Amino acid sequence: MKHIFAIGVGGTGAKCLEALVHLHACGLLSDPDGQPARLGVFLVEPDQQSALLARAQTAISRYETMQRAIGRGADYFARGELCNYGTWSPLATSSGAISLDQVFPKAVLRTQAPGVAALFDCLFPPEEQTADLDVGFRGRPPIGSAVMSRISLEKEAQVGQWQRMLVDIQTAAENSESTLIHLFGSVFGGTGASGVPTLGQLIKDWLTRQGRNSVKVQASLLLPYFDFEGAANEDTGVHAESRSFQLNTNAALQYLSSRGISCFDHVFLIGSDIKARYGFSIGGMSQSNAAHLVELLAALGLRHPTQNSNAYAHVLSRAQSQVVTWQDLPDDELVGNGLARGARFAVAWRHNFSREIDEAQKLSMRSFLSGAPWVRRFFSPHNSGGNHAGRPGIRDNTQLSIQSSINQYTDTLLQWLNQISSNVGSGFKQELFTPSLLAPADQLANNLHKIVQGKARPRRSENSDTVEAIKVAMDWLPEDQITHPGMAGLADCLWLLVA
Amino acid sequence: MPRLLPPSALPSATNDFSIMRPSQFIALGSCVAIGMAWVFLMQNWILLNIFPGLLVGPGLNLKDYLQTGSSPAFTVFWFGCITALLLWFSTTLTARPSSSRQVRQVQPLWWLASIGLVVFGLLCLSWFTIFRWQVTGTSPIEGNAVNFYPVPAGGWFLLIGFVLIDLIVLFWLPTVLATPRTYRFVVPGAVTLLGSR
Repeated sequence: MKHIFAIGVGGTGAKCLEALVHLHACGLLSDPDGQPARLGVFLVEPDQQSALLARAQTAISRYETMQRAIGRGADYFARGELCNYGTWSPLATSSGAISLDQVFPKAVLRTQAPGVAALFDCLFPPEEQTADLDVGFRGRPPIGSAVMSRISLEKEAQVGQWQRMLVDIQTAAENSESTLIHLFGSVFGGTGASGVPTLGQLIKDWLTRQGRNSVKVQASLLLPYFDFEGAANEDTGVHAESRSFQLNTNAALQYLSSRGISCFDHVFLIGSDIKARYGFSIGGMSQSNAAHLVELLAALGLRHPTQNSNAYAHVLSRAQSQVVTWQDLPDDELVGNGLARGARFAVAWRHNFSREIDEAQKLSMRSFLSGAPWVRRFFSPHNSGGNHAGRPGIRDNTQLSIQSSINQYTDTLLQWLNQISSNVGSGFKQELFTPSLLAPADQLANNLHKIVQGKARPRRSENSDTVEAIKVAMDWLPEDQITHPGMAGLADCLWLLVA
Repeated sequence: MPRLLPPSALPSATNDFSIMRPSQFIALGSCVAIGMAWVFLMQNWILLNIFPGLLVGPGLNLKDYLQTGSSPAFTVFWFGCITALLLWFSTTLTARPSSSRQVRQVQPLWWLASIGLVVFGLLCLSWFTIFRWQVTGTSPIEGNAVNFYPVPAGGWFLLIGFVLIDLIVLFWLPTVLATPRTYRFVVPGAVTLLGSR
């Protein structure tokens, strides 16, 4: 089994992990035999109130809950194992300090090392020294680097989330040939730009000390792909500025070209010349930037085979300047099919099957069955609620909790797909999905044909590409093709038939 | 260990199931054939050989009545049932219901068709037994002044019974066994017969 340990650093890193979780749910992280990989996710973010962090945590926890609820009740759907190592703040090592002059106590420095104190004053202007860092490193890599450089992985390996993850990395390296650590973060902001190379180097050094050189350390580094709309006011203090993005990127790439090999075995560089526009935010809960296609592409870096490649840096370009299509995605055949399946499943489940199950709660089973013959393949056809030929009752609480967990995850997936397909920047378009069909709707969905655009759209006539056709197929499937009863079996069967 | 996704097995099934299943075609064909045999052969034989006493009244020749009264009535009724059957199948084959509620909304249509067919059957019998002769001013019985077939009350009950049996054989049975797609349990009795497994 392939083991992947993904570390998202900063807000953009968290968004990439969100994309990665959805790729995992779509079955796109697997070993060459098609066996789903085990994905471990770890978020590094000083801004614990970050809306981006919260979104990533939501996607992670909802997938985890769904996967746990389904358990062994499905053969194909949600098979990818996910291990959540939680969130860690680099400020946690600084005894509750929330500003740079608390991380490096100036009063102490002045008395014990006046030269260092003078250097500190020289490197960091007063407003950077006193800025609250609980909203992140405010788009300033030097602040982040100063905090990150204090991390001791040996010390962190003794307790908490780092300990759990490092132990798992060691165990995976012992038991599996294919273990990969992949970091995600931007190089143009504060936390990612300072954290990704620092953590990469720390992890690589730690692996060398542990004699685990077979474990590869990679990174997807995001170059500028968005701008801020609006500006900060006078009270904002130190903050990220779009005009600094290019400067920060240049500095990061220079560092990477000289020292990169000591941090990562391979890097994937991805940005966009056409920028998405996000409302200005200093961080925290107001930083609710919508998901972007670039984050998906960054996550796809993890699928890139690097075993036999000496290339260090990988980049990606598109065929046409104003449009992105499935052909522009790496390994587009498989990736397109996987994402198309995920999108179609989410629409069919959330906008049809789940509502049908809700309807079934209000009717006698006999009455519901008269309009839904497919339902008896997964649930008892009787009102009594007990098991019938191994099939549970449709009102069974366990089944309803599985339905709820699938609902919650598919809501997250649909929101993400909707955002990556609508948030593309001005004058630019995508031909991957139809955003309006991924948005919440009052009407029950039936036609699935137009959800996916281009070559990833299944090759069947529009007339027969409906949820109703899937229900008919479920009704007539041979017994041996429906291997699991209940809600999980229904989702599993839908996952197969919707492709 | 989870089974691997079989790419080639990924249905295309949704295409295959978009029309009726072979077993449904066979059921429909069999029902139509049985219906024809029943209406055109067995029904007359039963009337002639099992219940002749119920139909025979004063001055009524059973063979004449079967030839010019009940048989034409049941033939027209048969055409009515077949037409209703075609309409039912064309409706259920072409509709694209997105929910079970939309499927169930077709159930009153089935009842309406059935009730309409019963009324149509009674009108057919009345026409060929009574009204046809009254409209033309002729008598169906040679040398008799009455311008209708004087079918006794018991005979009428028997004929109404046959209308109901014909409805079951010609409309309910084929619809319950061969209604396609998600509509296949919407016909009364289908859940009990086919869906309780």
